[in-house]
Amino acid sequence: MVDLTTILAGFADAFTLYNLTFVLLGVVLGQFVGAVPGIGPIMAMAIAIPFTFGLDTLPAIAFLVGVNKGGLVGGAVPAILMNTPGTPDAAATALDGHPLAKQGKPLKATKMALFSSVTGDTFSDIVLITVSAPLAILALRMGPIEIVALMIFAFSILTGLIGNSLTKGIIAAALGLLVACIGQDPENYTPRLIFGYWDLFDGLPLPSVAIGMLAISEMLRRMSIAHGGKMKSAIVDMDTGNPDDKRVTFAEYWSCRYTLVRGATIGTILGALPGIGSTAAAFMSYAMAKGASKDPASFGKGNLHGVAASESANSAVVGANLIPLLTLGIPGSVGAALIISAFMIHGIQPGPLLFEQQGRLVYGLFGAMIMANFVNLWVGQIGLRFWVKVVSAPESIIFASALLLCIVGVSMATSGLFGVAIMLIFAVIGYVMSSFGYSLVIFIIAFFLGPRFEKSIAQSLALTNGDLTLMLKSPVAVALLVMSVLSFFWFMRKNAQEN
Amino acid sequence: MKAKSTLLALGASALIALASTASAADWKPDGPLTIQIGFGAGGSTDTMGRVLAKSMEDATGWSIVVENKPGGGGVAMFTGLSQRPANGKTIGMGVSIPVLVQLVNRADQLPFTVDSFDYLGTVAKAELALVASKDAPFDDLESMVAYAKQEGSLPVATMAPPQVLMMDQTKAKTGAEFSLVNADGGAEVLKLILGGQVLAGFASGEHFQYLEAGTMKVIAGANQSRLSYAPDSKTFIESGIEAYVDPVFFLAMRGGTDPEAVAAISAAMDEAIKAPEFAKIVQNAVQGDPINMGREGTKKMMVDGLANAKVLFAK
Repeated sequence: MVDLTTILAGFADAFTLYNLTFVLLGVVLGQFVGAVPGIGPIMAMAIAIPFTFGLDTLPAIAFLVGVNKGGLVGGAVPAILMNTPGTPDAAATALDGHPLAKQGKPLKATKMALFSSVTGDTFSDIVLITVSAPLAILALRMGPIEIVALMIFAFSILTGLIGNSLTKGIIAAALGLLVACIGQDPENYTPRLIFGYWDLFDGLPLPSVAIGMLAISEMLRRMSIAHGGKMKSAIVDMDTGNPDDKRVTFAEYWSCRYTLVRGATIGTILGALPGIGSTAAAFMSYAMAKGASKDPASFGKGNLHGVAASESANSAVVGANLIPLLTLGIPGSVGAALIISAFMIHGIQPGPLLFEQQGRLVYGLFGAMIMANFVNLWVGQIGLRFWVKVVSAPESIIFASALLLCIVGVSMATSGLFGVAIMLIFAVIGYVMSSFGYSLVIFIIAFFLGPRFEKSIAQSLALTNGDLTLMLKSPVAVALLVMSVLSFFWFMRKNAQEN
Repeated sequence: MKAKSTLLALGASALIALASTASAADWKPDGPLTIQIGFGAGGSTDTMGRVLAKSMEDATGWSIVVENKPGGGGVAMFTGLSQRPANGKTIGMGVSIPVLVQLVNRADQLPFTVDSFDYLGTVAKAELALVASKDAPFDDLESMVAYAKQEGSLPVATMAPPQVLMMDQTKAKTGAEFSLVNADGGAEVLKLILGGQVLAGFASGEHFQYLEAGTMKVIAGANQSRLSYAPDSKTFIESGIEAYVDPVFFLAMRGGTDPEAVAAISAAMDEAIKAPEFAKIVQNAVQGDPINMGREGTKKMMVDGLANAKVLFAK
């Protein structure tokens, strides 16, 4: 065990003006790239890593952590203000955030997102700092069989989001899974549905599909409404005159406490399991908040709980992703893999000995994370005003620049125009689907979870030699499957009542 | 007379050598160079590639952009590279084995061969090991095979097709049954071993701390020669399974690039690889020293590797 002097020395290393400067720089950069549609914190981190080479290890890692955390807060901004989420995890935030912005409460919505994000992040950081080791051991016990059951549970919770047509929901999910099949199969590595395009060998690039479906298709929809060059601002009624619409009161924040804790818990659990990701967490939390609400019909129309549920969950994932990384050397996401890469550049091999050999550095990192949370809150308060000002420009300017940024961002993220072409194809598919009332959100989640789901099924089949009834020998899997069936029927009944 | 001609010849070759280094040093790219990495961000290829680019930039003053082009273990990137103009601006970085295996299995579908590229050099060699938890009831490949026979079947985690083929060879040779679980990279292999879902698995560096901590052990080396960090563990070949993989990280450009550009970039790359800071990163990524086989050596490695892969992975 790490002794107290090491812990204190680590925190003392972290809390210096020098490190604070790097955290601040990281958070500012992260919030900026997160808020600009198309560029994300992951790409910013990948580009920044070689430049941290000249820095000491702690400021370098602190900077990257700042970028990652800032990106989470920034990501909610375009989702709320323009209904154009740049990443799938912010899509859940848009569901209620954008209606709030349209009601003339853009600052209220973005501030709620900021507070929820920092709350979820802080929650998972506390879990990481205090109980990461036992949690990591528990996460290891979740083998492929349990992951399959967990995925089925995640899919069953999606029924809570389906809305009025079960058929259309199932079709959207099936299409998402079909598109997820493009690329090499996880068992024999045979290329599937690639039609000679080797760029598709690893599947459709996620940034292209997500931004095309979620952001560009929304821009197409706006264009089709705004025929004839109506020059209104991206959000109507900037100023309602009511000061309460510009802030989140403590009473409002406090009323969301259960939603926040639920979201943070879901995010922390899913974050500790490598490979599930923040999108599933955000949507599970959203669906559960809706299910638990006394007024589920208000979700999707501007309920603060919707924003709180989504942001607390997706931000909690990032802190929790470091649980398997710091305790076992296993990255839970691309962001975490980039932090490993930064460790390696500075001569540190992550793994089970990290706490023992680099205890002081790890606690320094924890110190930096705590600082980053406060800095996030502070920079966010200032930054949000700026972004709300920016989108008060006419729609014709905002969406044209956003489209340009999306194209540049996706071509950078996928290294070329192939990714841009895919993005435009999915923008059209998304436009057509949403015009006919198919949920894009369900499509995206199915697409996003599809590869992991398939891989886990393949792994389970290998482990059980093709006999999936052996799944029933795992108590965790059985519990999750029972919960799936229950939640499916519960959500279906709830949906039926609503209609 | 003879001495004179020898001297002349020496002088001439020295002059030629001088001329060629001079022209290599004179060559400058007329715009930014791009290094395309055939894997996603955050892996060992990505880390080494980005640091290599940074060192080359610092040493030469050129501007170098790094891009990730993942897909098929580098095949997507090399496909793209082979279709670009040979203007000396784009460099590809990949790993030999995945490319060679695809060239053996799907040659008719690929628009390139090993001759489609001008090779710049290599960066490092990856060492691949079959590892298990320290509590596993076997210590080497023979006892693992025996245990698999006793249990009926033994779960093993793999992360790429060559490893599946190596286990298939083991199966064919010994008659032991293995349930092969395909994982997404070495980190997931470790997770499966630590979680007890599989009893052994392949890893290429992610396991070093576990060896140091004594919680894992090496069962066999999967390279041609023994692992540098576990010289007591036998290789697959030594255990009677005629199969090995020697993955090498290398850089190449489209064939037919201006020889001066190839020489200059290759020289800059060689300088960067020799830098001590770079050695530290390679050490962390693959637990070995940087190895640059040079232009000719890299080409030979690929040509010989293809012949070897044809034997090993022929269907």
